[in-house]
Amino acid sequence: MSKYLDLDIRKIHELLVEKKITPLDLVDEALERIEDAKELNAFITINDKVREEASTLGEVDPNNLFFGIPIAIKDNIVTKGLRTTCASHILDNFIPIYDATVVEKIKDKKMLIIGKTNMDEFAMGSTSETSYFGAPLNPLDKTKVTGGSSGGSAAAVAGKLVPLALGSDTGGSIRNPSNYTGIVGLKPTYGRVSRYGLVAYGSSLDQIGPMTRTVYENASLLNILVGEDEKDLTSVNKTKEDFTRLIGEDIKGLRIALPKYFISDIVTKEVKDRVMEVVSYLKEQGALIDIIDMSYLDTAVTIYQVITMAEASSNLARFDGVRYGYRTEDANSVDIMYAKTRSEGFGNEVKKRIMIGSYILSGENAKTYYDKALMIRDDITKEFNRVFKDYDLIIGPVATRVAPLLDTFNDDPHKAFMDDVLVIPVNMAGLPAMSIPIGTNSKGLPIGLHIIGKAFDEAMIYKLASNIEEVF
Amino acid sequence: MDKLSREEVLHVAHLARISLTDEEIEKYRRDLKVLMDDIDKIKEVKDFDSEMMYTPINDNTRLREDVVGEMLSAKDVGVNAPKKNGSFIEVPVMINE
Amino acid sequence: MSSYVPTIGIEVHVEIKSNSKLFSSSANTYGMATNTAVNVIDLGYPGTLPTVNKEIIRQGIRTAHILNCDITRKMHFDRKNYFYPDNPKNYQITQNRTPIGRNGYVEIEVDGVRKKIEIEELHIEEDTCKSAHRGNVSLLDFNRAGVPLIEIVTKPCIKNGKEAMAYLTKLKEILFYANISDCKMEEGSMRCEPNISISKDDNFGTKVEVKNVSSIHNVGLAIDYEINRQEEMLNNKETIKEETRRFDEKKGKTILMRVKETGNDYRYFIEPDIPYLELTDEFINDSLKSLPLLPDELREKYSKLGLSSLQIEKLINNRSLNDYFLGLLEFKTNYVMAVNLLLSDISSYLNKHNKVITDTNLSYEKLVSIIDNLESGDLSNKNVKDLIDSLMETDKSLDELKKEFKIENITDDSFIKDIITKVIENNSESVNDYKSGHDRALKYLMGQVMKEAKGSVNPKKASDMLREALNK
Repeated sequence: MSKYLDLDIRKIHELLVEKKITPLDLVDEALERIEDAKELNAFITINDKVREEASTLGEVDPNNLFFGIPIAIKDNIVTKGLRTTCASHILDNFIPIYDATVVEKIKDKKMLIIGKTNMDEFAMGSTSETSYFGAPLNPLDKTKVTGGSSGGSAAAVAGKLVPLALGSDTGGSIRNPSNYTGIVGLKPTYGRVSRYGLVAYGSSLDQIGPMTRTVYENASLLNILVGEDEKDLTSVNKTKEDFTRLIGEDIKGLRIALPKYFISDIVTKEVKDRVMEVVSYLKEQGALIDIIDMSYLDTAVTIYQVITMAEASSNLARFDGVRYGYRTEDANSVDIMYAKTRSEGFGNEVKKRIMIGSYILSGENAKTYYDKALMIRDDITKEFNRVFKDYDLIIGPVATRVAPLLDTFNDDPHKAFMDDVLVIPVNMAGLPAMSIPIGTNSKGLPIGLHIIGKAFDEAMIYKLASNIEEVF
Repeated sequence: MDKLSREEVLHVAHLARISLTDEEIEKYRRDLKVLMDDIDKIKEVKDFDSEMMYTPINDNTRLREDVVGEMLSAKDVGVNAPKKNGSFIEVPVMINE
Repeated sequence: MSSYVPTIGIEVHVEIKSNSKLFSSSANTYGMATNTAVNVIDLGYPGTLPTVNKEIIRQGIRTAHILNCDITRKMHFDRKNYFYPDNPKNYQITQNRTPIGRNGYVEIEVDGVRKKIEIEELHIEEDTCKSAHRGNVSLLDFNRAGVPLIEIVTKPCIKNGKEAMAYLTKLKEILFYANISDCKMEEGSMRCEPNISISKDDNFGTKVEVKNVSSIHNVGLAIDYEINRQEEMLNNKETIKEETRRFDEKKGKTILMRVKETGNDYRYFIEPDIPYLELTDEFINDSLKSLPLLPDELREKYSKLGLSSLQIEKLINNRSLNDYFLGLLEFKTNYVMAVNLLLSDISSYLNKHNKVITDTNLSYEKLVSIIDNLESGDLSNKNVKDLIDSLMETDKSLDELKKEFKIENITDDSFIKDIITKVIENNSESVNDYKSGHDRALKYLMGQVMKEAKGSVNPKKASDMLREALNK
């Protein structure tokens, strides 16, 4: 088997330009690897036209780093003509007639979409085990979860099936699986990347981001995903910048905050020790690191539960069997059609969250829960802004521990949320944040560092990440 | 451990338009209670005095010019519909509102 | 006499004129083939997002202004959640907390008494799709889904069917003149839903809502029927239930549709896909610039021009003639004569040929020269009647037509003299009246002269000669 896909994409690009390989070679290699690693269950759907697309891509463009590079797309991002299921029975026959804006951008760059990756159903979960198609397995230890909800994308990159993937992150769904599988995953600032075509879970939190093997590839992929989109009012107009521009720069004098909460007793020793090793290293490099107090971090999960479940109950109301998707057989009234379609179409986790979400918004509850959550959310955001007056970045662990065994907490409705306790606050404030591998525990399971940046300062995250990547 | 009543479960299930078997009702009496206890923690948060932050985006009044864009063919409108009837999408009869 | 006091509020929905829909760019039209004015946003496809049509916000500002409302400067949209097949996302995007207009009024006059009907609020929202019922199935046409609506809600300050009709007539007239809506109740572009309660004291009674009323007249009938029905019920010690009824035109009765569930639970929350809209003074003023003169302003203006109130009302009732007449005001001419012509011979022509005035060749210059000729006596009313088809249909000038039709009013003194002599002989009573100072008699005698001459003499000349003969 050829090994082109293991090369840095700059090297792959060189080979393509020199015509030593073709895009079809890359696609065939990827398809072969996916077939060989079928048990990882990383993909829900393989693009059966991708070989044809690779053959008709035209002349290689030496200025387009991404020409002919295979990519995997999380299955909650719509792809025209390519089944998009959100890992749910309710959409398991859904063929979109439009592309997400990020998919248009990827096609414009002549990248090749290999397939759609496995995930928690409608992105609700932190292990990808709520998928209608079964959980993906962690390539580093197949008894462990990949994390979630972008578990399939993480497995595809960590399992070396494709060099690049897209995930989405509402409360850690890019960073959590990146952490558990040892890859680089970035959640951009809310508004940086268009959400048009991303099937909404928590609309005010969702953001699409790159999941890659290296920091450079991550920043390069982000370069092509960003931009204001006239189809998404929550996308923001920013001057064009190159996110790779600070990569490799000296971090001397960089001001970094480490909130106490992130190294409190909720974090396991092996993770905390690893993070503190990185802290020592960064200090040696001349970074200024302070351990600080931050309020509200411990309330973020509650706020997150209220906001996401409320928004999800409304966002998922459209899956009713009328215009697309699954419809139950022989319903002779509208009410029965709704209740049976949704009961048969949605899995357990989704049902729980939309029932509670409906409860949260019902009557006076909306004030008690939802309105109050939005106010506390504002406070969390202000608290981040306060810290960022004195610091360039905030760091901490991504998760409290390494990847757990599969089937550990299927029956605990609470734990699914607590797994993301360290990454959720970031989504509340809409900030950019990354999971970057900093080594493994004694059993070889990856541990990641969480780097949080100021709004729209992703370049600073890449600067620190590239520095860490060189050593860990 | 505390559980919701059957009626409470059925009420939220109705709001979300989900039908439940007896077995599921039993299961959710516990599971939904756990989540309700979770969200009830918000009642303990005392110090808050802010605007409702319903999106991280501010200062972004953006309006679309009033120009007609691309539309679908009637065929495409129905392409994903589970049940069609000519150019229409069909559902069981709606109670006359 | 009944001792109950009725309290009536009315909710009016009007479809707003614009090219495209409220939250998507598909066409805002009526009468297109089934499901041909639709895109993926209107169908509530997964991942699609709303954008806000600038023109609809302008229309909202205009409506708020002409209904004397305070305009909300910073607003957001809300989701109203309810499941129904005509509601594609199973939530409707509307304005619950920040309606674009508040605290307005419409002034009406009933039996010579003026009254302000207070407007509680008006807000912008999207329409549902259209459904047709065939046996045990319903058929959905999404052309109307997402069409912009403004909902106008009065305070419960209306006392009877007459006031309701006066309010709706006035509202319709204003919205139609301001180009907000075409207000066609028969096509559903204006929908009125009165709610009626009666009570003996200051506490409001139980509210009954009436839907599906097809005309303003029927709203009046429905209200008066409801008041009587409720009075009878209370007199018979029956309890009025909160319910929705419809009006059966043939029977002249309201009929129960459904009893309201205990408090509709719409689970409102702020639409996270649309950030705050902030309306600047500049944007508001700019929006109001294009507002045409409204009926009450026209009434004042026309009254100053010397038009009779009958003429004014007739003109305002005919939008195209009114707009044509407004254009004529740029020219100096006898406006009273112009209106007489517009409402008589010209209107007859238009009605007969089923045309509007802009379909004809009647330029302002041509109309002005007709009036000049009528005033100087070079043209008689009979001539106008004879020439009307050619005046309206050809682009020939009046002079050309006069030549073509050999119109030259008889100014032959002896011909006129003969007629005058004859009229004086036959109307000795009027002649005596005139001589004893009754000027009105002159008008009568002049009428007789013109009648004898069959309209073919120069009226000014004839009038001069008549006076001379009488004064002899």
